[in-house]
Amino acid sequence: MLNKYLALTRSAWMLSLEYRAEGLVWMMTNMLSIIMMVVWMSISRNRSVNGFSTGDFVAYYMVGLIVRQFASAWTSWEMSNEIREGSLSPQLLRPIHPIHRHVTANWAEHVMRFVLLGPIVLVVLILTPDAHLFLTPISISAFLFSLLGAWFITFLSDYAIGILAFWTSQATAFTQAVYGLRTVFSGVLAPIQMFPLVIQNALDWLPFRYMLAFSNEILLGQTRDERLLFGLVIQWAWVVFFFILTRILWKLGVRSYGAVGA
Amino acid sequence: MQYLKLITLFLKANILIELEYRANFVAHALVSLGWVSVTIVGTTVFFTQTDTIGGWTFYETLVISGMFTLIGGFIQMFLQPNVQKVIEMVRLGTLDFVLIKPVNSQFMASLRYAQLFSGVDVIAGGFIMVYAMGHLGLTPDAVTLLLFAVMVLMSMVIVYSIWMVMATFSFWFVKVGNMTELFNSVYDTGRFPVSTFQGVLRVMLTLVIPIAFITTFPAQAILGRLDAVTFVASVVMGFGMFVFSAWFWRFAIRQYSSASS
Repeated sequence: MLNKYLALTRSAWMLSLEYRAEGLVWMMTNMLSIIMMVVWMSISRNRSVNGFSTGDFVAYYMVGLIVRQFASAWTSWEMSNEIREGSLSPQLLRPIHPIHRHVTANWAEHVMRFVLLGPIVLVVLILTPDAHLFLTPISISAFLFSLLGAWFITFLSDYAIGILAFWTSQATAFTQAVYGLRTVFSGVLAPIQMFPLVIQNALDWLPFRYMLAFSNEILLGQTRDERLLFGLVIQWAWVVFFFILTRILWKLGVRSYGAVGA
Repeated sequence: MQYLKLITLFLKANILIELEYRANFVAHALVSLGWVSVTIVGTTVFFTQTDTIGGWTFYETLVISGMFTLIGGFIQMFLQPNVQKVIEMVRLGTLDFVLIKPVNSQFMASLRYAQLFSGVDVIAGGFIMVYAMGHLGLTPDAVTLLLFAVMVLMSMVIVYSIWMVMATFSFWFVKVGNMTELFNSVYDTGRFPVSTFQGVLRVMLTLVIPIAFITTFPAQAILGRLDAVTFVASVVMGFGMFVFSAWFWRFAIRQYSSASS
């Protein structure tokens, strides 16, 4: 299994090197986060907003860039294309589940983007005078763990939507709808603390916050101790949920699949 | 006259296509409405923490949100599908079939297709503006409405020109799809008054990629605070960019050697 993964990763890495320039432009599509950061900075220029100083907003969005970079998936687009055009069929015949190719493609892109983005984020964090991170052994390891959870939730939920293409040609519309919800409630538009309490409480139980804001909060030291533990439990419960969901959907989907190219 | 007839014909063809895929139409219309609510929530969240952004109150900013949604709908309805088609045709060499038609090639290339479900955004944008104006207690008089109409027209001409220039680049570069992505992400700044942004960023959003002319200035017009300089600048900007995009298109066509020959 490890050998297979190494081979797949190598080929995915080669592919992402091929399209380097595209990665660079892709980074620019993070503009929405940057714009939101700038607007929040303009509001917090003279006073702190719900406990956030200007520096906190910078730190929040810079950490957020990394998290969003890492916990992002676009597999549902590829899946729906592959299913529609029938190019999934030969992959079903291979002795390895197609998900592994998608996973390695996703990782290779992430590494590529991290190499491009990491230094920029670091420089901005150092140059902003009061952008403080809360760095302790516990917070760092909890952050990394939550990052992994965020990736799992994002990737698996996106994969589940991709599988829907077995039944419907509207899978991309569904992706868009979920993406919209995610943009609002995962913490791109605003840190969760800016929302009314009712929404904050609901977001404790829904998956969106755990795709982005939760990790940011850990590294900013806003979520600690019991809150942190509680969050991790809920996050990984969602991971398990999406894992089971994708497995079931995949089994049902393949069974009902009449390939176009076959 | 002939061009008017063609436009009606194009529209008819597009309606027929949409009718063929009705479920698709409904699904996308719903998604569009979803994004409209994202825009509104996005604006509202800021105002739970502050009274003004860049000197604009909530309902004033909502007018900008309406303008942002309206023009966004216009882009997706006409510009995105046609520009994508041009890029594809240049790559495949089928642009020749457009060039040999006895009408202006830019007209043909930029108005042939329409993604009608994005009309939902145009309408929703209008509604948001009317709603916000109602809350502000403003009823624009005839002059204001006329000024606003001109500003919206200029706004559309400016985005049209930007998209045409991007499409024209596809004669030399294959990966123009990225450029349109880039524009879309910069366009996101148009949800907020340009005065939110400081320094270099504001200058860029006014002069380099003139998002200010696309959303903020028309909103100023309907709110009745347009100054003469901004109005004249908009008209000059609109005409200037249109002339440039047309020149650039003709220049590219002259250079063009088809992929199929």
